[in-house]
Amino acid sequence: MELTRRAALKSLGAGAVGVAATSLVSIQAVAEESSEGKAPKHAVGLLYDTTRCVGCQSCVAACNEVNNLEGDLRADRIHHSAQDLNSFAKNIIKLYRPTDGSGYSFVKQQCMHCVDPACVAGCSFKALTKNPDNGVVGWTSSKCMGCRYCEITCPYHIPKFQWEGLNPKIVKCELCKERLAVGKEPACSTVCPAKAVVYGTREQLLAEAKRRIEANPGKYYENRVFGENDGGGTQALYLSHVPFEKIGLPDLGNESVPEKYLKWQKRLYSYLAVPVVAYATMVAVIRKNWNDHQHHMQEEQERTGLRPQL
Amino acid sequence: MIGFWERNVPVFDIPVRSRALYVLTGLFLLAFGLVTYRELAGLGPVSGMNDAYAWGIWKTFNVMTLTGLGSGGFAVGIAAYLFGRKRLHAVMRTALLTSFLAYISGMTLLGVDVGRPWNMYLVLMPWRWNYHSPLLEVAVCMPLYAMFPLFLENIPPVLEWVHEFRPNFRPLVEKATAVMSKFYPLVVGLAYLLPAMHQSSLGALMLLAGDRVHPLWQTPFLPLLYVWAAAFMGFSCVAGTLLFCAIMWKRPMDLDILQELSRITCYVIVAWLVFRFSDLLVNGKIPLAFQFNQFAVLFWIEMVILVVAAVTLFDSAKLKNARMMFHAHLITAIGGMMYRFDPTTLAFKPKSGAFYFPTAMEILVALGFVSFAVAVFIVAAKKLAIIPAPISYWHDYEREVLANAPEPQLSTSGQALAAAQD
Amino acid sequence: MSKNDVKLPTEKPTIGEHLKRAGYSRRDFMTLCSMLMVTAPVGLALTDNASVSKVASQIAKTKRPSVIWLHFQDCTGCTETLLRTSKPDVADLILNMISLDYHETLMAACGSQAEASLRQAMRENEGKYILVCEGSIPLKDGGQYLKLGGKNGVDLLKEVASKAAAVISMGSCASWGGVPSADPNPTGATGVDQIIKDKAVINLPGCPPNPYNLLGVVLEYATFKKLPALDDQHRPLFAYGRLIHDHCPRRAHFDAGRFVKEFSDDGHRQGWCLYKMGCKGPQTHAACSTNHFNEVPDCWPIGAGTPCVGCTEKAIAFRVPIFQLAEIHGATPPEAFPLVNTKIGSIGTAAAGLAGLVAGAIGGAAWVGAHKLPSTDDKPKSDAASSGGK
Repeated sequence: MELTRRAALKSLGAGAVGVAATSLVSIQAVAEESSEGKAPKHAVGLLYDTTRCVGCQSCVAACNEVNNLEGDLRADRIHHSAQDLNSFAKNIIKLYRPTDGSGYSFVKQQCMHCVDPACVAGCSFKALTKNPDNGVVGWTSSKCMGCRYCEITCPYHIPKFQWEGLNPKIVKCELCKERLAVGKEPACSTVCPAKAVVYGTREQLLAEAKRRIEANPGKYYENRVFGENDGGGTQALYLSHVPFEKIGLPDLGNESVPEKYLKWQKRLYSYLAVPVVAYATMVAVIRKNWNDHQHHMQEEQERTGLRPQL
Repeated sequence: MIGFWERNVPVFDIPVRSRALYVLTGLFLLAFGLVTYRELAGLGPVSGMNDAYAWGIWKTFNVMTLTGLGSGGFAVGIAAYLFGRKRLHAVMRTALLTSFLAYISGMTLLGVDVGRPWNMYLVLMPWRWNYHSPLLEVAVCMPLYAMFPLFLENIPPVLEWVHEFRPNFRPLVEKATAVMSKFYPLVVGLAYLLPAMHQSSLGALMLLAGDRVHPLWQTPFLPLLYVWAAAFMGFSCVAGTLLFCAIMWKRPMDLDILQELSRITCYVIVAWLVFRFSDLLVNGKIPLAFQFNQFAVLFWIEMVILVVAAVTLFDSAKLKNARMMFHAHLITAIGGMMYRFDPTTLAFKPKSGAFYFPTAMEILVALGFVSFAVAVFIVAAKKLAIIPAPISYWHDYEREVLANAPEPQLSTSGQALAAAQD
Repeated sequence: MSKNDVKLPTEKPTIGEHLKRAGYSRRDFMTLCSMLMVTAPVGLALTDNASVSKVASQIAKTKRPSVIWLHFQDCTGCTETLLRTSKPDVADLILNMISLDYHETLMAACGSQAEASLRQAMRENEGKYILVCEGSIPLKDGGQYLKLGGKNGVDLLKEVASKAAAVISMGSCASWGGVPSADPNPTGATGVDQIIKDKAVINLPGCPPNPYNLLGVVLEYATFKKLPALDDQHRPLFAYGRLIHDHCPRRAHFDAGRFVKEFSDDGHRQGWCLYKMGCKGPQTHAACSTNHFNEVPDCWPIGAGTPCVGCTEKAIAFRVPIFQLAEIHGATPPEAFPLVNTKIGSIGTAAAGLAGLVAGAIGGAAWVGAHKLPSTDDKPKSDAASSGGK
């Protein structure tokens, strides 16, 4: 009995219905669990205010010291001259200098320690993890395979890879988690002479930022603090007197990258329901085809006496 | 386990060692040397990858693009086994072999590309997996597919060779065949499920890059478009390979099968184009295609190539014109590869001032690994029964056998093979 | 004390003649001119000339200007700074380059002789002398907190200034009040330019300022009868036109984030930036960072390892605590700062060539190969007629 096209389509149709039904269930399940937009209870972070920063780069020097980083000597072998975050620099001060001579601004760049980080969502073996208690995004070398997916996903271009050497690492600010563990502050906020970057719990920092905005209406861009909701929220917050895009903080909307872009993936793969149903359907159809064909093969063998080509 | 409609015959009349094979082997050895250098010196000195474009052609081309081409086993298989296009069974072995080689070369190069490969053993430990990550899905599913269902599907020609030329192992082969026969539907089912999952996950990889992929390409349906593109790319790769083998080894072609392949490819491309445009239309992104920048130009190049491909496929199928078919499948492959490659590199904008172009060494390594796959294909096609012969040959042979005495010890092709190899 | 009318010599030869008569060597004179050029490389017409000899010849032709120097609420530090010059030394300066007709600290006369010499100087050089004021003038309670020869300081100032050609306030006290004007300013100490409004007043703040600032202004006036370009606080731009921070020898340490945290720490011993010790360099206009004192290199506060206190600035000196951090606004960020978007990645020639080669080879092979295929197949049977296999 040959499998007719009608029969095949019928089984596939049944399968498709099954898949659709399972998807609906999964969508429901995922919808209920997507209250992931909240920062951990004791989330800590940094508040950086461009109006206070004098560009002294003490924070860069301190970060290098505390993290045992050599400093980027590649340009002339004399001066530390990291031009960007890279494998020698976990923290950097950059300059926004508009060509028309109007208001320049310094900007400190380091890991934003997002509330729902894209890098953590993408990391296959959980080398990048978000501490459930204080929310610091840390990296573990024993779990990293150096695939650099984190560099592709981070909307702020933070994780950097060591492109030279036998044992390359991913280099990024980890909020001095060893210092936090013994009750100290991160190195950058400790040395800042102008209190441009300060450390505290996310709640405290948000309150302080809002206080500054209220006390100085019109001083800060859009009268808001970047990172409160941007990209789902970050734990490194920014107050700026120039537009955020000019200092490298992109416009991300209020949804985090994983939330916005992995919705359908989560739904389709939830409990592996959809793949399992699809598999079952396909096997059913194939088996029917296969058995028919085996049967046919048998007949042919009897008819011609020839071994079918193996 | 493959029925009478499979009529594959080795390329037994052309010596295995040829100039082309030497060139390919040379390229591969060069690549091997460069890989050793990469392992010792790190990725920076060998490649043009940088912190803005952290993925270079090894990942974005050899893995993300060429495994799309290597989806022949998946695409043609679904047409043959799920939709019952029995005629296509004849080309299944070619499709499976190209898939297998594309995957093996891609996976190996992936192992070269990752910075800390000694931690790849974590792929075997499900409790260490991050289930939300599309990359995990790819990292688990692709090797699993290549080493299990795809590998098993490629065993029959080898078993057949053993059966013909190593008579001592015949009972073993027959036992193995029987066992495999029983589980074949399950294996084949996996061989369609797993590629569907990971080819779409390859698309999902670029989802997490968010706004850094240009909106003309970035869409929640990126995974669907990727696996769909894999489908038509797989077809074009198989058809193109068959035509290329016909050219290289002066084999007769089965234009009926090629016609069917071309037709199916055409329909798949058209449906894909319709979906892609609808997606852009519904999300109001069409105006972006008319901005005057390199992304709009790239987009239109892609679209035009695929439209031309679809039209050429249709015409060539109608006319049964082999040369036109070859051109058509080549254009399809190029269009498909462009689509899969663009969101990773050309339509990927990490930040202004960032640029990437592979270094010469990087290109040579990529080329070397592709050469490896091609070289193995050539050797396998000459030693094993992979490439199909026209159906009339089989009918002639059947007629001949039925006319003569029954039960020859060796099949005709086997005899010829034995004669050639002695 | 009867008033003796004392007559003083009134000859007024040129500076050149005078120096020659005094036995001043040409070499010493040239050295002086070089020092002037260093003090005021720009902004002074006198030194805008290309060569030392040109400056020298100009000065040589000038008649010695008459200078009257009054002290008010001062510490005499500004006079002391003048004394710390060796080229010329003070004697040459006051006798041969300028005619210092009245200076309470330096002149031999005292008492009624001194007063007589003041009146004579005023009479003989009426409208032509330069009045240099040192020290602030108290205004409270009618100005009774300073009396000179029985007269209130403010009255003396007005009288002498009325006949002067130009008034120079030497030092921060004369410029804007200085130390005596520090909170709560019990005497109402004020700068000269708040009292003399009808004449050009040039401020040379500093505690003390560099003596070559004064010399430059005086000689410029004497030679060209013109005052140098001034800023909005009447300070000559050639000396006060830039911030210490922008010309500080320790600026590289500031830019690299190397700061002294405590006196005598390792950073201090290595000469690191004193910003965190409260250095007011970023807010202070002065030339001290390039023009050091006592003609000894590095003889200035930051060079000696102590933070600048902003002694020239009215808003800073004696008002803002020494160890309070300076505000940095308007300082030019260094050119070498990394910009927000940096360039990364490039294309190699070999790579581009190779890519082209590969693409070409594949394309070419495909094209050639395609032509080996039959173009149209109009036979019903798809196989037999094709180029046969063996």
